[in-house]
Amino acid sequence: MVRVKSRYLLCELNVSDRSSLLLLDDRAVAATVKAAVARIHGDYGAALCSIRFNVKYLNAHTGIVFLRFPKSCYRLLWSALPFITSVETRGQKIPCFLNCLHVGGTIRTCQKFLIRYNKQQLHRMLPTCKTKEEENQVRKAILNCSLTGGSREAFEDEFESDEDEEE
Amino acid sequence: MSAAKVKMREKKLRNQPASVQYPSGSTQNGGDTSVTGSGGGDGPSTEKPKNPHQRSGWVRGHQRDGGGYVKEMPKYITAGAFARARAAEVSAMLKAVTKTTGSCHVFGALPKHMRRRAMSHNTKRLPRRLRDVANRMREKSLLAGSKKKKEQPKSKSRKARRRHGNLLLEFNRRQRKNVWLETHIWHAKRFHVVKKWGYCLGDRPTYKCYRPSYRAMSSHCLLQDLSYYCCIELQGEEQKLLASLSQLTSKEAGPTFAAALSLSGRRQGSVVVYKAGQYPSQPLGPVTFLWRPRMQGSTHRQLWIWAHPTIKKDLLPELQAVCQCYEAVVPPAVPVVTPAEVVPTLKTEPKPEKTSDCKQVTGIKRKRTCKDASGPPAKKILGDGTRSPTTPVTWRSSSAGIVINDLTMEIVRYRLIGPQSHSVLAETLEAATDCDEINKSQPSSLWWPDHCKDESKMNVHKQQADVYQILKGIYSTGELPSGAVLGLTVDDPRLTLPTKKVKALPCVKQAQEVDEENRRELMLRGVPEHCCQSYLWERSVRDNVTDNKISEQELNRMRSEVLVPGSRLSPTPLQGRVPILLVHQPGKQVGHEMSSWGAGWDLLLPKGWGMAFWVPLVYRGVRIGGLNMSLKHSQNKGAPHFPHDYPDCPAGIRFQEEQEAELLDKFKRRPPAKRTNYIKHGCLAPFRCPWQQLAEEWELIWREAGEERKGNSPIQTTTEAVEEEMTLHRDMTVTTPQSHFTVLRNIKSLRLLSGWCRPTTSKGQRPCRVGQLPPLDRLTATSFLTAHGMNLVWVRLSLLSKGKPELHAMVCVPTAEDLQLLKKRPGNRGPQEPPHRDHFKNRIKRRKRGPKKAAASSAKTEDKESDLPSVSEPDPKSSSASEPNSTTSKEPKSSSQSSSDLIFGLWPDPLPSVTSHCSRVTLGWVTQGDFSLSAGCGEALGFVSVVGLLDTLVNQPREHRGMFLLRNPASLHYRFAKINIEI
Repeated sequence: MVRVKSRYLLCELNVSDRSSLLLLDDRAVAATVKAAVARIHGDYGAALCSIRFNVKYLNAHTGIVFLRFPKSCYRLLWSALPFITSVETRGQKIPCFLNCLHVGGTIRTCQKFLIRYNKQQLHRMLPTCKTKEEENQVRKAILNCSLTGGSREAFEDEFESDEDEEE
Repeated sequence: MSAAKVKMREKKLRNQPASVQYPSGSTQNGGDTSVTGSGGGDGPSTEKPKNPHQRSGWVRGHQRDGGGYVKEMPKYITAGAFARARAAEVSAMLKAVTKTTGSCHVFGALPKHMRRRAMSHNTKRLPRRLRDVANRMREKSLLAGSKKKKEQPKSKSRKARRRHGNLLLEFNRRQRKNVWLETHIWHAKRFHVVKKWGYCLGDRPTYKCYRPSYRAMSSHCLLQDLSYYCCIELQGEEQKLLASLSQLTSKEAGPTFAAALSLSGRRQGSVVVYKAGQYPSQPLGPVTFLWRPRMQGSTHRQLWIWAHPTIKKDLLPELQAVCQCYEAVVPPAVPVVTPAEVVPTLKTEPKPEKTSDCKQVTGIKRKRTCKDASGPPAKKILGDGTRSPTTPVTWRSSSAGIVINDLTMEIVRYRLIGPQSHSVLAETLEAATDCDEINKSQPSSLWWPDHCKDESKMNVHKQQADVYQILKGIYSTGELPSGAVLGLTVDDPRLTLPTKKVKALPCVKQAQEVDEENRRELMLRGVPEHCCQSYLWERSVRDNVTDNKISEQELNRMRSEVLVPGSRLSPTPLQGRVPILLVHQPGKQVGHEMSSWGAGWDLLLPKGWGMAFWVPLVYRGVRIGGLNMSLKHSQNKGAPHFPHDYPDCPAGIRFQEEQEAELLDKFKRRPPAKRTNYIKHGCLAPFRCPWQQLAEEWELIWREAGEERKGNSPIQTTTEAVEEEMTLHRDMTVTTPQSHFTVLRNIKSLRLLSGWCRPTTSKGQRPCRVGQLPPLDRLTATSFLTAHGMNLVWVRLSLLSKGKPELHAMVCVPTAEDLQLLKKRPGNRGPQEPPHRDHFKNRIKRRKRGPKKAAASSAKTEDKESDLPSVSEPDPKSSSASEPNSTTSKEPKSSSQSSSDLIFGLWPDPLPSVTSHCSRVTLGWVTQGDFSLSAGCGEALGFVSVVGLLDTLVNQPREHRGMFLLRNPASLHYRFAKINIEI
């Protein structure tokens, strides 16, 4: 097929203090990545990074980031990611590093991987829970993760919303 | 981004998870939790992750003051919060993954390998679980489509529409504005139909047949439906009728209503009708008329006046005025003369109904009441395009005892043109057969059995049939005396319909002595008077025949029951006897060549029988012509065609306006660069002929010349002089009240003119009677012109060499040099007009270049002008000040309007002098011009100013007298043509 091809990197932001994770926002992350690339690869890298680089998604609670790079040069840009040691956001410098979990050709594959990964994480968490309450919560979360309703309900929802829009 | 794009994008990204982050600018961390559904916090997480459309939890991009956010950050996190955050993320991702982006169709739910193209229109191809959704979606999209199309009215099925009753209703609906003739459907399948004069008329056939039609006219037969002509019936005492009608005509213009031959009913006459007592001025138009032959011992007469539908509007009030028939009779008048005691027994039933209908005024819609109520509702056999259904059709005068009856659409009229039209008639029609004794004895509702009982009537019928038999033996239609009338009763022509189309040929062989004698008698004397009688004149018989017509279906059924298939139906059904009138139409009466070209017969039928006669006629190998062909017919005959060639009649004036609008519209449709620049061609009015201006200008020229002659100055006819005079006296001509121009129709004057135009007739034939005329010189011309100053005269011009004259070509006067040139080289091609300059081009360009500037300047001038009067005036009252303001502001507007009216290539409206605009003085214009197939050269018919004509003739040398120049509007080339006034 004829299209502009990209690579999507699914990264995990690891921070020492979890609460500081909540301070993150996508612009800060983008700026940090750009700066790192510029530092490592110079002007050439900075230029490459400015073309179609984008932070597609950031979850401040879990520290998951989707980065988009152009396919032609993603390896070069990727090689700069380990050099990130901190993200500066809202006047604070958060020490962190990026852990790349998955590289995908479409955002969809990354999403699919993320689902699998998160489920795995939750399942791993479950035996390590200390209190009963915690366990319950995790169990509930796991149940929530698996969609049982099927796609039909989802469609109906969609329709209703469509109709609302029309009116 | 456009709104649609935004919407599309939103739709695409609806299912995509947005980044989850806290808004910037909130640095303080207090409180316990955020309210975000996905979010951490163990507190009151009211949001349900199931509700995916709640935006509060998942916000894409930056929102400065995102609604519903709590600014505080949590201090610590728990495992539960961690787990919940993961779970929320997973569900968001799941949603994004399961639901495809982009297309909102249900296919998205299907993996690619299961998708099929046919699913898009056939929901049954989809898996069961998706069908409901898809169906709903389809309905929605259909609804959306219909919203745009505005809900087309649901039409019935074709079968229902074509059902007979519904079809008739539909036909009636379509005839509301323009009425159809009885042959309309036949014509509509084969002709280009135009809506004219309140009717739908066939203009020309869709197939190519110009030459075949001409050949049919000159050697076989051409058929036309002239039922749109309006018939007006006048009844009353002969003397009174003649007295009142004599006001409309004048003996000077030829035979009138009182001409002896016509009055006896043996000939059809034609006259030009004028407004009462206005003879030379205010003509109405030409009509033909037919008197009913006299009854024994009765002075009561019946007269039919056949007029074109465009005259009827003017003619009918005029007739009412001269006959003093103002009393409208609402119910249809019962014919006063009822010699045949035809009492239709069945007719009595529908009659009271009809009259009661008529009293309700709507009844005159002429919907035939159906005999059986179960039949299709009210078939409208006919209507009328020239009047509204509510107007009365009959007027009676109490004093004179005259009754005027409007018989429009009551009688079908077909015209057969060509020398063989009588053989076509002879083959198609058969004189009615007598009915046998059994039928005679029984009382019947039909008219024919009653008729058969009467011996004298049968005698007349027999004589008529004999005459009809003799008619078959005649070689050509033109041999008969023009306008002869023959009444006849014939059998239903559908009974003798040939299975194949055959060409009717004359049968001249049976030349026995007695026959020969009879034939000569017929050719010389015409039809004897008592044979001109027909029962078509009787309204009761007409109605009876119309009502009792056998339907096509019934006839076919009867045919199918015949023992030998294809044989003739016998005995002939009683209903199939139709009274008809055959009226001979004279052919070319004027001129010397091709005399009686295009003669033919008119067939007059009672209404309702149109198609029954039409198809059998067509099966005899005739050509069918439309309006176009009737124009060519009269053109070849050299006769003026109504309403094209009657510029002085109201109908003619109306026609000219219509024609101008039509031609102008056609002209404007071309891009300016591709248009003919008529200004450069020196053509002032390519789309209309300013006859009035022409007549006035020539009148003035003549007067000037007369004055000069009195002053012993040399006569000036050169163009420069004329132009000077014109420029000098233009204003005067405009201001002086002038009489309206008329067309010269005085026979004596026409004869005189015609004689003066020779010695050059169109083909160089020398006429025999030159000597009788007074010689043409200035004195006689002056005396002639005192009577006919503002007149135009109908002339025929035939070109000497090449060239095809077109509509509105100019007739010009050749100069002395031109005639010299012609003398030297007879094959000379004719002079050229030097190209003119287009002064208006710049104006148009300027206007185009700076429309804004012009508008601004005009506005400025407007302001100035509007300011001026208010300044000059002391304006004591605001109202008086405002009044001149408004008037002055109007003027520039109108001027700007006139400049906007400028059309590239056409002269703007106030025309300069039409006579002296070109290097050759203009005499008149051509109204019909074409290559004449009968003469073999270009021929034109048109009008010239009498003054100009005489002025030129006087000055022309004798050998070139009658030589003129003709120039097409889109050409610079003058062609020599001979002028001819034919009477």
